[in-house]
Amino acid sequence: MDRLKIERVGGVAGFGGPHLKSRGELALSDLSAADRKTVEQLFAEPDKVPAARRGQADAFSYRITRGAQTIEVPEHAVPPAIRNSVKDTLE
Amino acid sequence: MPCTCCIIPNDVLTRLSQDKKLSATLRKQMVDTVQVSHELRELRNQAAKLTSVTAARSAGLVTLAAAPSVTAYDCRHTQSLPGTPVSKPKTSSDSSVKRAFNQTGKVAKFYQQVFNRNSIDDHGMTMMSSVHFGENYNNAMWNGSQMIYGDGDGSIFVDFTRGADVIGHELTHGVTQHSLQLAYNGDAGGLNESVSDCFGSMFRQWESKQDAKKADWLIGRDIMGPSAKKKGFTCLRDMADPAAKHCLAPQPTRYSQITPGMDPHYSSGPPNLAFYTACTTLGGYSWARIGQVWYHSLTGFGPTPNMTMKAFAARTRQGAHTLYPGEAAVFAAVDAGWKKVGL
Repeated sequence: MDRLKIERVGGVAGFGGPHLKSRGELALSDLSAADRKTVEQLFAEPDKVPAARRGQADAFSYRITRGAQTIEVPEHAVPPAIRNSVKDTLE
Repeated sequence: MPCTCCIIPNDVLTRLSQDKKLSATLRKQMVDTVQVSHELRELRNQAAKLTSVTAARSAGLVTLAAAPSVTAYDCRHTQSLPGTPVSKPKTSSDSSVKRAFNQTGKVAKFYQQVFNRNSIDDHGMTMMSSVHFGENYNNAMWNGSQMIYGDGDGSIFVDFTRGADVIGHELTHGVTQHSLQLAYNGDAGGLNESVSDCFGSMFRQWESKQDAKKADWLIGRDIMGPSAKKKGFTCLRDMADPAAKHCLAPQPTRYSQITPGMDPHYSSGPPNLAFYTACTTLGGYSWARIGQVWYHSLTGFGPTPNMTMKAFAARTRQGAHTLYPGEAAVFAAVDAGWKKVGL
C-alpha cells in the first residue's frame, strides 16, 4: 500500500488514449510529510477531491492508484512531486 | 522557506496547521496559505459568476475596447502564472513570445472580420498568453481566463505556440466559456472540444485563404515532434478521418461509438466529422457559410452547459434555414454532415 501508480490524462493532445501515455510510480515514503498527508487525505475522502476549475479546458488530471483504489485529481490539486513523477511516452 | 502549499485543499491545510509534529513556522505558513487560498477561491467563484451574468446580459454592456489588447507573459519554465510580463512581444527575440502574441492578434482579427466578434467575450476582453509554462510541458490550455503554452519535450511534441490551430483552439475555449458555456463532460464536453477544433481549423484555413476541399483538416500538425513523426503520426486529430492511423489521438466517427466517461478529445470525433462533411459538401471557404451556422449556434442563444450533440445538430439545421433561407444547399450540407455521424 506504500506504492502510488500515477497516470496523467487529458490535455489538448488527449493523453491516456491508445498511443499517448504519461505514467509514473513512487512510494508514499518518497513524499514530504505534508504531501503524504495530502495524498492520504485525498484517498480517505475521495468525495472531497477538488473539482476542475470552472471554464478551464485542456488541463491535465492525474489518476492516482494506491492498492485497489483509484482517484482522479485535477492538476492544480496535485502535489508537484507527483506531477513530476510521470514520463510521457508513445505506444 | 516560502510555503508552496497553495494547491492543497483548505481542510487538509487547516488540519496540518494544527499538527504539532510540524514546525511552528510551517504551521503558521499553512494558516496564511489557507487565508490567501480562501481569497483566491472567492475571486475565482466571483469571476465565474461574472462570466455567467455577462453572457446572459451582454446586450446592455458597454464595450471595453474597440479591439482587444493582446498581452504576453513568460513563465520562464515555472508553473507560476501569469509569469513575467513581456514589454515588446511583437518584436521579441523569443520566438515563442512573438508567435503567441502575433497569432493571438490574428485570431482576434479572424473573429472580428469573419464573425464580427470583439475578442473572447465580444466586449474587448484582453487576450492574455503565458508561454514557456513548466519544464518540457507537453500541453496548451485555457484556464478560464488566459491561454497557457508549454514548450513541448522536443521529442513527442515541439513548442505548442507553433500550431496556429492550437492557438485558435485555445482561444475558442474562451469564446465557448463566454457564450454556450458548455460543460467538460458527456455530450457537452465533446461538443466543447469539437467547437475548438472547428474554429481552430477554420482559423488556419482563413490565414492561408484555403478552400474547404484543399484544406488538410489536421489538428496539431505543426506541433508534432520527431519521435511522433518517426512512428507515422502526422497530427493529433484528423477532422476528415477521425479514426485514421496517422492520428496520435484517433477518435470515433459515429455518435453511437461514444462511451460514457470518454475524454472529450475523443468524443469530439463525430461532431468534427459532421463539420468537415458539411464544409466540403457545400464547398468554398469553411468560414463563409457553415462556419457562420456553427458560430450562430454557439453564440446566438445564451448558455446551455449540458447541451447534447443531438440538440446542437438540431440547432445548426435550424440555423442553416434561418441564416440562409434562400440557399437550400447550406441546409443540405449541414444535414449531410450530421447524418454521416448518425445524428
